[in-house]
Amino acid sequence: MFSTLLSDEPGSASRRFFLWAIVWLIAPVFIGLFMAILLYAPPVQLLEPAWLRPYINFGRIRPLHVNLAIFGWLSMVYVGAIYYLLPRLAGTKLFSERLANLTLVLWNLFVAAMVISLPLGFNTGRKYAEVVWVLKVLFVAILVLLAVNVWGTVRRRAEKNLYVSAWHFVLAATVFIPVYIIGGKVVPLEIVNGQLALDFSGAYVGMNDNIINFFFVHNLFNVWFTTIAVGLAYYLLPKLTGKPLYSHRLAIWGFFTVWTGQHHQLWSPSPYWLQTLTVIFSILAAIPTSAFLFNFYKTMEGRWSLVVSDIRVRWLVVGTIFWGLTCVQGVAQSFPNFSLGIHFTNWVIAHSHLAFVGDYSFWMFALIYLLLPEVAHRPIYSRRLTEWHFWLTLGGLLIFMLALFAAGLIQGQNWMTGGIPFIETVRAMNSFFLARLIGGALMVVGQLVFAYNIYRTVSAREPVPSRAVSAVAAPASE
Amino acid sequence: MAARLQSLPVLLGGSIFFLIAGVFVTIFLPSLEPAASTPTAYARPYTEQELRGRAIYIREGCWYCHTQQVRPPEVNLGTVRVKGDIGPVSTPGDYVYQKPVLWGTTRQGPDLTHVASRVDDKGFPYGSDYGWQRTHLQLPYALIPGSVMPGFGYLPDDEMDALIAYLFTLK
Repeated sequence: MFSTLLSDEPGSASRRFFLWAIVWLIAPVFIGLFMAILLYAPPVQLLEPAWLRPYINFGRIRPLHVNLAIFGWLSMVYVGAIYYLLPRLAGTKLFSERLANLTLVLWNLFVAAMVISLPLGFNTGRKYAEVVWVLKVLFVAILVLLAVNVWGTVRRRAEKNLYVSAWHFVLAATVFIPVYIIGGKVVPLEIVNGQLALDFSGAYVGMNDNIINFFFVHNLFNVWFTTIAVGLAYYLLPKLTGKPLYSHRLAIWGFFTVWTGQHHQLWSPSPYWLQTLTVIFSILAAIPTSAFLFNFYKTMEGRWSLVVSDIRVRWLVVGTIFWGLTCVQGVAQSFPNFSLGIHFTNWVIAHSHLAFVGDYSFWMFALIYLLLPEVAHRPIYSRRLTEWHFWLTLGGLLIFMLALFAAGLIQGQNWMTGGIPFIETVRAMNSFFLARLIGGALMVVGQLVFAYNIYRTVSAREPVPSRAVSAVAAPASE
Repeated sequence: MAARLQSLPVLLGGSIFFLIAGVFVTIFLPSLEPAASTPTAYARPYTEQELRGRAIYIREGCWYCHTQQVRPPEVNLGTVRVKGDIGPVSTPGDYVYQKPVLWGTTRQGPDLTHVASRVDDKGFPYGSDYGWQRTHLQLPYALIPGSVMPGFGYLPDDEMDALIAYLFTLK
């Protein structure tokens, strides 16, 4: 059993990571749909069996929705892609396929433990760091195993100059570890009255708790999600267009944006100088963003028609448009006056889906449609279903986001008008919540189509000859 | 120059430098602010029951939809029932006994920083009324049509009392 579980078949870890990621994609989209129903019609909760009601109440499943989507779905595609691409970019084999498969087992254990613990109410009360201390320790162990594999592979590389994507993987896999340890308070120690004491709460005291929590929230995006996603986009771009990347010098991600945590908490009680500093660094973040978009645009020149003919290029291009929008919004939202109008509103929910669905997930769909046939040795089952997946997801997302962006602007204006009873500003959301529910339902159907298509792909009888595998090489560079 | 920037040790060293500098400037320096550790009139140590209620508030995810921070521009403006009843602006010293703090990011419901001090337009102090809080927590949308808050009728009596005791600390 262990020989299968910890297989050393090349590519097996990547394949398993991709397939499990899709399992962990289907779970949060259904939870999201259920939450959308509850926000539209809260009395629906009375239809639930009484014994089940506490465990699926809004406040218990909201963290599950978020954590599954980002640590289950997205992160697992990322790691599957790193295990597959890094050896190819480095011109060597993966340091240890068995270790990679062990990472998968532990990762699934981590995600499954979230599925149990969060509905039971085990919650540290800190955003994106909700899981209890034991699970945080497990996750750090997983990240260390990933880093060992990444560094082991890079150290024995045949290519002297690594392609830009590989830098992104190595940096993210390394720097995310201290970010997670600090942000999640994984070291269970604190100083009480000058004495060192044990503390497993995962929380800090007072204002500093919020400052560190949002240092973590921002760097989770910056160091982990954005760094790897951009690295993967830099792989997909030359690979899918058949053109070399326009510029390698532009492809340096701005790590100085690790300083922007408190721009999520403008006007809050945290120090004014700190908020001002984060605003400045948020504006500076426009530099690496613009560099990426310019690089993307110049590389795409002469290949735009692929958007029509190649579904993977379409995911990549539309995802990049959404990425640009995310970054423009991100900078705008860090202006205090703009923040005042949209902070705490449903605009923020739309913004986070713009980033996580519209950008990162769209890129990951391109990646899976490109790499899964290689690791599963089978062509994608149905082209028509990939089209359905695209249009349902895009259409649903647009309805979802437009509804919530509009809703957020209205909410913000209502609040800042003053004198409007809060409940009136809630009632005004009802029709927008219906539109969000419809958009969300379309996205759910889209993901079911996707999962079915992948299921038929991997359960197909006849593997294609292995030339599809050897066709994979490092993208044309320089 | 380009060659140097493309070397992995340089990139990694630079990233770690930015991280350490970021931790120093954006985490360590703010922690030295005296305001963060000097309790204000709104700060109070919790009793055992209140602390238990706070844990229930976290467990049930109340903090996902209710913030606990009043921003300066909304002080005389923010409306729950009566104009400006959102309450006084929050300062770092209000939170010295809290771990974690529950500042929040979303207001599907109103800010709760000063919920226990609120009165409605007829002068009824619903925020500090045990009966009102209990009825409301059990089935919010029955008491307030159009409310999107879920019901917490499944909480056992002692948990409900602890939760309300915690809400009463939010003055």
